[in-house]
Amino acid sequence: MSAAISIDGLTKDYQVGFWRKRPYRALDGLSLEVQPGEIFGFLGPNGAGKTTTLKLLMQLIFPTSGRAEILGRPVGDVGARQRIGYLPENPYFYDYLTAEELLQYFANLFGYSRSEARTRAARLLDRVGIGAERRRQQLRKYSKGMIQRVGIAQTLLNDPEVIFLDEPMSGLDPLGRREVRSLILELRDQGRTVFFSSHILSDAEALCSRVAVVAGGRLAATGRLSDMLAFEIRGWELVIADLRPQVLERITGQLQKTTEISPQRYALELPLQVPPERMLADLTATGARLVSLNPIRDTLEDFFVRRVAEVGEGARAPRKGLDAGD
Amino acid sequence: MSGWRGRAAGVALALTLFGAAVALQVVRDRIYSREQAQNRAFLYVQSPAALRRIALSFDALAADVYWIRALQHYGGDRLSRDGRQRYQLLYPLLDLTTSLDPYFTIAYRFGAIFLSEGYPGGPGRPDLAVALLKKGISSQPDNWRYYHDIAFVHYWQFQDTRTAAEWFRLARTQPDAPTWLEPVAASMLIEGGDRESARIVLQQILNSPEPWLQQMARRSLLQLDALDFLDRSIRPVIARNPPPPGTPYSWQWLVGRGAFPGIPIDPANVPFEIDPATGTVSVSPRSPLFPMPRIGSPQ
Amino acid sequence: MRATSWIAVNVFKESVRDRVPYNLALFAVLLIGASFLLGQLTAGQDVKIIKDLGLAAIAVFGLFIAIFIGIGLVSKEVERRSIYSLLSKPISRPQFIVGKYAGLVLTLAVNVAVMTVALYAVLGYLTYIQTPAARSAWDAPGVDPRLLEAIGLIFVELMIVTAIALFFSTFSTPLLAAALTFGLFIVGHFNTDLKNFDKIVDSLPAVWLARGVYHTVPDFSAFDIKTEVVHGLPVAAGYIGTTVGYGFAYIAALLVVSVLVFSRRDFK
Repeated sequence: MSAAISIDGLTKDYQVGFWRKRPYRALDGLSLEVQPGEIFGFLGPNGAGKTTTLKLLMQLIFPTSGRAEILGRPVGDVGARQRIGYLPENPYFYDYLTAEELLQYFANLFGYSRSEARTRAARLLDRVGIGAERRRQQLRKYSKGMIQRVGIAQTLLNDPEVIFLDEPMSGLDPLGRREVRSLILELRDQGRTVFFSSHILSDAEALCSRVAVVAGGRLAATGRLSDMLAFEIRGWELVIADLRPQVLERITGQLQKTTEISPQRYALELPLQVPPERMLADLTATGARLVSLNPIRDTLEDFFVRRVAEVGEGARAPRKGLDAGD
Repeated sequence: MSGWRGRAAGVALALTLFGAAVALQVVRDRIYSREQAQNRAFLYVQSPAALRRIALSFDALAADVYWIRALQHYGGDRLSRDGRQRYQLLYPLLDLTTSLDPYFTIAYRFGAIFLSEGYPGGPGRPDLAVALLKKGISSQPDNWRYYHDIAFVHYWQFQDTRTAAEWFRLARTQPDAPTWLEPVAASMLIEGGDRESARIVLQQILNSPEPWLQQMARRSLLQLDALDFLDRSIRPVIARNPPPPGTPYSWQWLVGRGAFPGIPIDPANVPFEIDPATGTVSVSPRSPLFPMPRIGSPQ
Repeated sequence: MRATSWIAVNVFKESVRDRVPYNLALFAVLLIGASFLLGQLTAGQDVKIIKDLGLAAIAVFGLFIAIFIGIGLVSKEVERRSIYSLLSKPISRPQFIVGKYAGLVLTLAVNVAVMTVALYAVLGYLTYIQTPAARSAWDAPGVDPRLLEAIGLIFVELMIVTAIALFFSTFSTPLLAAALTFGLFIVGHFNTDLKNFDKIVDSLPAVWLARGVYHTVPDFSAFDIKTEVVHGLPVAAGYIGTTVGYGFAYIAALLVVSVLVFSRRDFK
């Protein structure tokens, strides 16, 4: 099956400076593929080139070199845009329109009839939880979180096959984030492809099947999440209740880290050498209770920080030639 | 709109459309002349006071624009072949120009020249010319040029040498006025036949500190004396003593007749000359008083 | 095409919800007030003055609308980044530009129409209360259908101004675009002085330069037939035709250039 999104050597240089313009390479030879039906996480620190990539895919900006295709059609193909949805970062919509009007307007642009547009708008506003009263107020009165929801709604107007989300969780409270997460999963279940960029790694961990990490405009790593995190366990986390202080004092030397959760309840970090079963047996003998036992793996964050540091900021310096790749 | 071919086509299309626009413009201008309408539109605001307010702080620039239009109007009517040389809008345009910029000297001066030019070639409105110049005087009372120009309008258009000389005198009293103004005034008076006034002016010039002016004044006074002498004492006598037919006029014959005690001499002690055929007496070219001023009204 | 018209409708909606209705109300009030005031002051010249005032007001108000909404048409969308979500929909950039332009022209049309109706209403009232004797002294009838000729040309002129404002809006900031558009408007009104340069200046390069500027800058003064109409003087149909044709050709050229500039623009 052909890729839903295919990016090949995509490079973007900006000219900076006033008199003598120097090229600033925002994106350097990015190549990756996104298969249909997967949730793909596009991760990286701020300024890594995530939004640049998305803008290149939406043809809001033009590449210096390289190409990209969405659903087999080159980027910029107007017909292909009929089958995709896009949510920009910190979206702004026309604040003199109501949510209803905005969605109907966009639906009209997709070519839906007036009644069809009305139906779709209403359905999506229900789905993202904007009430009947609210949706008739002008957008200038909406909070950031509500705008974000409207943004998600307008992304889905045309039942898109591929959905691009740029920082979809920004501005949402934990409840909102949970809802968006479940929405994304729902979209995947419906067979759609989701490409979302984020710098919040826990979201990626929860949702993505595959990720790409960019830093300094270059691709630092890409692959299945589980592959990337298939590292050795580096320790154990033992959560114990009813642990008496004297007992704790006795074992402290063996522990890497102790965190008090509440009186007599602790999270203990054991290094690899200390077998957890032994420790557990010791503690339960003193009358403590096991709450949970978990291996400590590299988190995505650790992996992330390490990889980003490897790529480094040297990628941004002006280069002699402008060829993609080294 | 992809690729450079698309862009080239776009640029070509834009240029074609622009060319079409210009073509239409040229065609329209050729068929429908807008001069008349244009000028009417210019005088949409007839009142100088209102125009000053509208022009805000760009009075001088607006004055320039109106000056250019005045010139075009004058030139356009001058060169027009269909006889509508009426220059109707010339004075209003000049009035507006000078109201917007009261220090626009050229507008007053050339405007006066244009306006006083006689019909049919010009508007033939010396009265408006004087009015315009007087407006100039009201804004710049010590500018001798305006007085000088008014004097010439009176001289050329109204044939009024006395008033002209008076305006010359006023011009002379302004600061920085050139010294040749008064002699010109005197000459003008003499030409006009007004010797009394001329003498008065010349007497005043005698008091001038400039030696060449004194000299000139003295000379002019002697010339006047010569003229008076000729008129009073010579010509009547000759008229009473015509020679017989066939005999030319000559001093010898007249003196021989006893008409004159001797050959008459001018105030510079040079004998007058008499024309043998007509008996006209004039100052000799050998005299320092020659050439004498023209007598009679200016052409 | 359908998408373009939806964009146009949206522009119209925005202008309606913005500030435009207040302009109209102000205009109507001014005009009605002026008419009654002037009726007391002038000796039977009130009709001419109302016509002058009305036409001038339509031109001026229309100009402000054209410039101030026109300059923001594109730059506001880009600045606020509402253009991101708009351009991800299946519309092309040319459609966007044309749609925006059409929307503003629609706004202008409605404004001008309302002002025209107000003007005719006041003229109608004045005509009604005047005696037939006074009316016969007028250069042109009070409720003069020929006013529509003048208003029509004013409207085409405004369409050109809008196209210019839109063009500048595609690549520069609102303030600069407003200044440039207004500047071009002023120069365009003094255009005929440039054309006649050869009558007063000797230098040939200067004349050619002036001619060049005359043909490049839009010839706005040609669209002004207010004086003729108010005084009842005839205006040739051919003149109106060629001038309108000129206007449309110029507008089309501007739109094509605007599309060209806009199509290759990066949106930061």
